[in-house]
Amino acid sequence: MLQQSLAPAFFGAFHKINLKNTIILPCARTLWIVAASFAPFVLPVLADNTPPGVQLSTSHAVPRQVEDTTQKAIVRDYTAAWSALTDALVNNDAGALDSAFIGIAHDQFAARVREQLKTGLHTQMIDRAHNLEAVFYSPEGSAMELHDTAQVEIQVMDGGTVIHSEQTTLHYVVLMTVAEDRWKVRVLQSEK
Amino acid sequence: MRKVCYILLTLAVCWFAAYVAHAQTADLKIPDQLFAGQGFTIPTSGSGDATFYLIGPGGVSKRTIHLGDEIKVASEETRTAGRYIAVLRSGGEKNSKAFFVAPDKPAALNFLARPSRVPVAQQNAISGVAFVFDDYKNLVTAPAPVNFSLSLEQSAPTTRTVPAKDGIAWTQMNSGRSQGAAQFVASLPSTDVSVRRVVQQVAADACDLHMKAQNTGKAILVETDPIRDCSGNAVPDGTIVTFTEIDNRGRSTMDARVKRDVARAELPLSENATISAATGVVLGNEVHIGNGATGGGR
Repeated sequence: MLQQSLAPAFFGAFHKINLKNTIILPCARTLWIVAASFAPFVLPVLADNTPPGVQLSTSHAVPRQVEDTTQKAIVRDYTAAWSALTDALVNNDAGALDSAFIGIAHDQFAARVREQLKTGLHTQMIDRAHNLEAVFYSPEGSAMELHDTAQVEIQVMDGGTVIHSEQTTLHYVVLMTVAEDRWKVRVLQSEK
Repeated sequence: MRKVCYILLTLAVCWFAAYVAHAQTADLKIPDQLFAGQGFTIPTSGSGDATFYLIGPGGVSKRTIHLGDEIKVASEETRTAGRYIAVLRSGGEKNSKAFFVAPDKPAALNFLARPSRVPVAQQNAISGVAFVFDDYKNLVTAPAPVNFSLSLEQSAPTTRTVPAKDGIAWTQMNSGRSQGAAQFVASLPSTDVSVRRVVQQVAADACDLHMKAQNTGKAILVETDPIRDCSGNAVPDGTIVTFTEIDNRGRSTMDARVKRDVARAELPLSENATISAATGVVLGNEVHIGNGATGGGR
C-alpha cells in the first residue's frame, strides 16, 4: 500500500529532473576530461603506427632515368628499411636488419645493437618524414644513391631512464643495391 | 624582516647549488671537425662521478668518469662516420651534445664493371662505377679523383680520370677493336689502391658473310668463307649460320654452327635452287644452283 502510494510520487519527481543537465552533460564532461587527460599518452602511440611520409624525387638522377616501377620499389624498400632499423634499435634485435640491410650498413647497425645489449641501452626512433632525392642510378640499374632529409624523433634509454631525447632533421647519404628480390640499404650515413 | 632575509638566503643558496650542479655537466666541448678513427678528449669540471655515454651509428659506449678529469674518446669509438650523441649524466643532471664524424681520406674502392662480356667496337658499351670508401668502410663524400683504365694486351690503354661525387665515380667506355680479355681497372691516384675487373671482348656481328655452294651429286654442299666481324675478329665457334634453299619444291633451311671460322652444311639436291646464308642480323650472298652447276654467289 505504502509502495503503491510512494511509487507515483517518486517517478513523478524523477520525471521532473532535467536528465540532460543533471546526468548526461556532467557525465559527458567527465568522460571528455578523462579522455583528454589520456590523450598525450595515447596519441603518440597511435601516431607511432603511422607509416612515415616518404617523398622521392628522381629528376636529378644520372646517368640513367629511374623507371616508375623502380621508384615504387625504392619507396617501399626504404620505408621497410627504416621500419627494420627502428625495430632493431628499440628491441635490440639485430635479426630485424636482415630483410632490409646488407653489407656495411648491416654490419654497422648490427654492431650498434650488440653494444646496446651489452650496455643496457636501447633507442626509440620515430621517423616522421623522409624527403628522398635520387642522385645516381647506375647504368646497369643495380645501384642507386639517394639523399634523404629525414624528420626523426630520437629517445635513448638506459634501462627505464631517458638519457637523451630530441626531435631533429637529419641528412643521410643512402646507397641502395639490388639484392635477391628487393632493394637493400648498403650505406646509410648521416652527415652535416 | 628576519624571515624574509632567511627565505632570500635559502633561495640564493639553492640557486647557487643548482648553478654549480649544472656547471658540472654543462658545455660538453667537442672538437668542431672530427674524422673517422680520430680520438679526442672532452674536458669536464666539478667533482664526483658521472656516467658518460657515446651513442654513434655503429656502436654505443657507457662508462663512469670522474668529473674534473678529461673524458678520453678512443679512435676505435669513432670509426663510423655519421652523427654521434655524447651524454654526460651526473645525479639527476644530464647534458648531451650531438656532433658529426666525417669520413676519413679515401682508402678503398668498390668497383662494379658491366658487362662481363661485350662485343668489340661498341660505343659506351662498358660501364664502370666506383664507390670510394675510407679505411673504416665509410663512404667518402668529399670529392676525390678516380682513375679508370681499360686495356687489352698489346694495345694502348684507354684511361680516364673522373672526380667522385658523393662517393661515386662512374664512366662509360667504348669496347676495343680486338677481342680478348680486357683489364678494366679503377684506382685511386697517389695510392696503391686499385681494383681490377676483366671484361671479355668478343667478336661483334659478322661482316660480309660470304658462302659458296657445290653440287656433289648426292647433295649440295654449302660452306662459308672464314666469318669475321667488321674489325677482323673471327666470330666464335658455335655461332649459328642459317642456310636457306628455295626451289620449285619449296623452302629448306638448315642451321650450322661455325667451327674454326667457317660453317658448312649439306642441303637437299636440287636442279634449280637459290641458296642464301644469314647469321644473326647479317645476310650473306645468294647462290644459284642449276643443273650440275656450282654456285659462287652474287
